[in-house]
Amino acid sequence: MPKKHLGYLVLLLALCCFSSCFQIVEEINLADNGSGTVNLTVNLSASKTKVASIMLLDSVNGYKVPSKQTIQKEMDEVVAYLKNSHGISNVKKKIDFENYIASISFAFENVSNINNINQHVLKKLKVNAINNSSYTYSTTTHIFQRNYTHTKEAITQYNKLKPEVKNVFKEATYTSIYRFEKPIINYTNPLAKVSKTKKAILLNTGILGLINGKTNLTNKIILSP
Amino acid sequence: MKNFYKYVISAVFTFSTLAVSAQNLASKIPSDALIVVTLKGDNLTRLMSVKEFNNTFVGKEITDKLAGSAKGNFKTIEDFGFNLSSTFYYYNRGNDSVSYNCVLAPVKNAGQLDQLFNGAEKSFTQNGKLRTFYSRDSTEVMVWNEEIMLFVKSDGKESYFSRPDVSKRLGLTTPFDPTVIDTVQAATAATDSAVVMTEPVIQEPVVPKKTITRKSQRIHVKNKKRHVLKRKPAKKKTIQIEEPRIEQYAPDSTAYATADTARYSETIDTALANSYLKNDRIKKAETARWTKKMISGYFEKSDQSSILTNKDFIKSIDQKAEATVWISNAVKLMNTYVPGSYLKGINILNGYGSANIKLYLEKSAIRMRSEITFSNEMAAVFRKLNKRKLNRKFFNYINEDKLIGYMGYAMDSKAYLEEYPKLMSKMYDSVYKDEVALATDLFSLLVDEEAVSKVIKGDGLFVFNGLSQKDKTYQTYEYNEQNFETKTVTKTKKETLPDFLLMVSTEDTRLINKLIAYGVKKNAVKDQQNYYELAISKSPMPLYFTIQDGIIFLGTNADEMKQIANHQYHGNLSGRHKKILSGSNFAAYFSAKKLAGKIPAEEIGNPEKLAKTNKVLSSLGDIYIKSDPINGNVFSGEISMDTPAQQQNALKYLFSIIDDTRK
Repeated sequence: MPKKHLGYLVLLLALCCFSSCFQIVEEINLADNGSGTVNLTVNLSASKTKVASIMLLDSVNGYKVPSKQTIQKEMDEVVAYLKNSHGISNVKKKIDFENYIASISFAFENVSNINNINQHVLKKLKVNAINNSSYTYSTTTHIFQRNYTHTKEAITQYNKLKPEVKNVFKEATYTSIYRFEKPIINYTNPLAKVSKTKKAILLNTGILGLINGKTNLTNKIILSP
Repeated sequence: MKNFYKYVISAVFTFSTLAVSAQNLASKIPSDALIVVTLKGDNLTRLMSVKEFNNTFVGKEITDKLAGSAKGNFKTIEDFGFNLSSTFYYYNRGNDSVSYNCVLAPVKNAGQLDQLFNGAEKSFTQNGKLRTFYSRDSTEVMVWNEEIMLFVKSDGKESYFSRPDVSKRLGLTTPFDPTVIDTVQAATAATDSAVVMTEPVIQEPVVPKKTITRKSQRIHVKNKKRHVLKRKPAKKKTIQIEEPRIEQYAPDSTAYATADTARYSETIDTALANSYLKNDRIKKAETARWTKKMISGYFEKSDQSSILTNKDFIKSIDQKAEATVWISNAVKLMNTYVPGSYLKGINILNGYGSANIKLYLEKSAIRMRSEITFSNEMAAVFRKLNKRKLNRKFFNYINEDKLIGYMGYAMDSKAYLEEYPKLMSKMYDSVYKDEVALATDLFSLLVDEEAVSKVIKGDGLFVFNGLSQKDKTYQTYEYNEQNFETKTVTKTKKETLPDFLLMVSTEDTRLINKLIAYGVKKNAVKDQQNYYELAISKSPMPLYFTIQDGIIFLGTNADEMKQIANHQYHGNLSGRHKKILSGSNFAAYFSAKKLAGKIPAEEIGNPEKLAKTNKVLSSLGDIYIKSDPINGNVFSGEISMDTPAQQQNALKYLFSIIDDTRK
């Protein structure tokens, strides 16, 4: 029996059987003066069996599967872009091909520096549903704001996907954590919850809600002066 | 209305389920047909009555759509005028310039068929008992009398029209040649009738003698008059029978009236489009001319030159088969339909002859048998390859209680390695003679066929034992309540994985043992005492292997592998499977119903979907695929699916599946 045929048969069986999901985690630590750090993570560990199978193929369901080298190259491009961005420093990347976790972290001088950057990074990481946000922080009013606009492009692109690919998004989650030096007095997004110290706020939601526009990430967070 | 034809043709083929008595239309099929499809209605009506068919989803759809299209009082498929008591045929014939797709159907009531056309406001000519209908561009023709209907759809071949001599003779232009734009501009600017003058004159094959006048047709023509320019006004009470016609080409001469720059690109687009349309019209006119010539006197032709003079076709006829597809010659078929420029002289089907596929719808199974005839040389190769049979020791390691499916293949690897260079040489010899000779010599020099065949003898069996859940670890995050600090944690979840066992025969294990020893040394293989685990962290599933009893075992189940390694495995396999596996060089089996209830709920999603999946799986019969030993120069195989016990026969079962999926 040709080895190649057997390989495809096993993969076919594997792909039919495995469910999949992934996590996106966005962490921002903000200092009083408006500077801070960002850590963006895409975690496919819960689907690593499926990802490992997919990585053995050139394409699956008509979609080109990026090679390890391609993924490394894309990440290197992100790092290079960040290093050349105004107000950005201490750029670090980490790719764990055992667990399929990719993360990028960097420091910023002012929160406005990250507006375009997060969009660019998420776009590179092929996460298009949440890359339409902007961040502001006023050192005088102590208000941190994330403005999020749902784009119809996300649902249009999603609807173009084959049903089996759509399933990938069913259990995918997005988590944002913002940590501050001062306690939070008030916030506007009902999906968010504040930590015991009142200095951190977390929002955890499904990616599907972001794609179809049912979930809004906009949040106005007022810190104590 | 647009789909009228489609409905008629699909109806014709579906109607074949209702034939009773014989009327051999095969005598009308020319001897040079490349493909012939036969549908035996009498066999099918024995399995399902017309009344029963009318009540199926397919029956209702066809009746509704065709009746709607024809605007007639059609209640059942019997009302369409076809003689449902005979065999129906599709055939294809072609040459380097044109391909004809033809349907031959027996007519029971020509008046009903006439009514079908009248209802659809499609006018036809009548010469005695012979009626002829031409589509708008005359590339589709339907001819019928009181006994037979012939439908022809012809397609002119681009490879023919692109030949310089043909292109020049017909006055075809090259759309992307810049001079074409000027030519077309000049032609269109001069007069839009200039192109019309170049139209080939189409001759009617049959002179219309009878003028048919019906109210519905008058309305139809009247409506058309509003949209078509330069058409003679229709007479008030009678209409002229439609001549076979070519779509009128009306170039837009006004596009060139103004030569301003802004419209230049638009003008070029229009010129190219017009050039394309003109070419298309000329090609269709030429194709229509051939078609008319082909059908001229069709029904009067004697049987002398029919397909019934072809011994291979006659041999392929099996009265028990509900449908048969016969291919006259695989090489000829490929050469006719695959452009030479694409194959570049490579003959991939060298040594392949005629072929046929037969469908049997029986009480207990649906069977599809296929046969292909090889040249003496090719048959000799296959006989050598198929000398090896599947290792019967494999059967000791199959447990039928959990067996979901298998796929076995037996081939003499030594013969394969010896014959492979020769096969390649045959295929590429005409183009890469020197290169192929060099490569085949090099291959034979490097490969020791005898030695390789001892390591891998050439037979293997893949056994699918279902699905099993295994614990898999993954990394995720936890956030402490104090300040949502992130902590990476390892969690475990159940994953559904396929459970399989692969067995391959071997004689000389020295090389494999060396590989294992090397793997152990390099930590790629874990020695588990008598059996091994492949230590590949990225493997989607754990893999274990061992060598016992002249067999290499590779599987996903550690316990099973341990039992095999320790000679403790107890297999059980029924005689039916043993017979199939040992009697074929290729055999496969899949039982969908055995998979029912074994798919974990979390893999499917909601309980409703799971229940539906299990219901569908339970309703499917077991599937078998097997090849037969080569007989003379004929190689054959069969795929079959058992019909569930509660079903009366395979045809009803097929329609019930369609009905179920529509619910």
